[in-house]
Amino acid sequence: MNLPKIDISSLPDLDTLTGLFGSLVDAARVQSSDDTIVFLITFLYEIDPTRGIL
Amino acid sequence: MIIHPDLRALRDDDSPQRLAQEAVVAAVSGWRDRPHVSALRAAVKDFARGGDLAGHPALACLFGEPEDAAADLARELTAVGLAALAENPLGHAPFRHFTDDTISTLQIARSGYVTLSLVAIDGAGLAKRPPATTADFSPSEVWERVLAGQARAVVIDRGATTPDRADLSASDVSLGPGSLIVRDARSRHMRLDRVDGCLVSLRLQRRLPEAGPTREYALRDGALVHQAAGNPQDSRIELMMALLARMGRADAAPGMAAIACDRGSGALRWQALRECLALDTAAGFGALSEVARRTGDELAPAAGALRSQLIEAYPALKEIA
Repeated sequence: MNLPKIDISSLPDLDTLTGLFGSLVDAARVQSSDDTIVFLITFLYEIDPTRGIL
Repeated sequence: MIIHPDLRALRDDDSPQRLAQEAVVAAVSGWRDRPHVSALRAAVKDFARGGDLAGHPALACLFGEPEDAAADLARELTAVGLAALAENPLGHAPFRHFTDDTISTLQIARSGYVTLSLVAIDGAGLAKRPPATTADFSPSEVWERVLAGQARAVVIDRGATTPDRADLSASDVSLGPGSLIVRDARSRHMRLDRVDGCLVSLRLQRRLPEAGPTREYALRDGALVHQAAGNPQDSRIELMMALLARMGRADAAPGMAAIACDRGSGALRWQALRECLALDTAAGFGALSEVARRTGDELAPAAGALRSQLIEAYPALKEIA
């Protein structure tokens, strides 16, 4: 059967998009009451060891 | 560039560094092997498998009565750690940690989706941050015992919620040594507004990996401004799927189709459908049709709509599934 090749950019997203784990719009304060940052830093430090991410 | 003589010496011979590291690791391991700390770590492991905190006394005691158990644990750990660091200033304590000079976190124990951390928040640094504009609600349970310092916090409760909005109500809370905060972070957010000096607390957090995404609402009007994966595994899988699809790895298509039809989060399953459709039309369309057919599947309406749209654009698809 000759099936079409579908371009992913033509496929719709859901109405509400879901960002990656740990992503926030207002990151300035919220991390004071959650441990997500420690999880993320394990990976982010390898990418950018010298600068803060907040 | 100024390089301390001790560090310069290490360029020629790194054995002092290795010895310092071994000494610090040995000191911390000695603490971890103490019977009550071993029991605590075992309790964290059990707690990660589920059940109420009360069913794990070695852990629950840190967040119950008498209230000084958490402070005793922190005091003991810092005494051991600081003594080791005093003797070995170049050693590195073997704990996952983070600091940005305002928020400092030391992860004492971890198992699965449970973490036990010592947290210090510097009031001067916090005061320099811009005022909060949103509140986030993440799928996790949190127990927090204040060990030292004073702070004023704001607790925000999420009431009636629609897909794009939530009723938020705020109340002030004063925190001091001994204060205990227990909250279901899906419906209760807490943020520190002011800290006098430094606030130190012991925090236990258990993520609920299948309890939906983290949602962030604007404080001003309760509008949903962002949502994010509620567990790291979803994001990891999403990134892996994107990579495999860009590599043109058609052999990954059956795996993606299985994820799309599985019981994971809607966002991850939808992404799996999109990647699978682009990678292998037949496999992707089969999965799309399967999801569209299901009654009660949250993705069924969107899958049905996309299926019709694709059949209209590519009539050949009618032949499959």
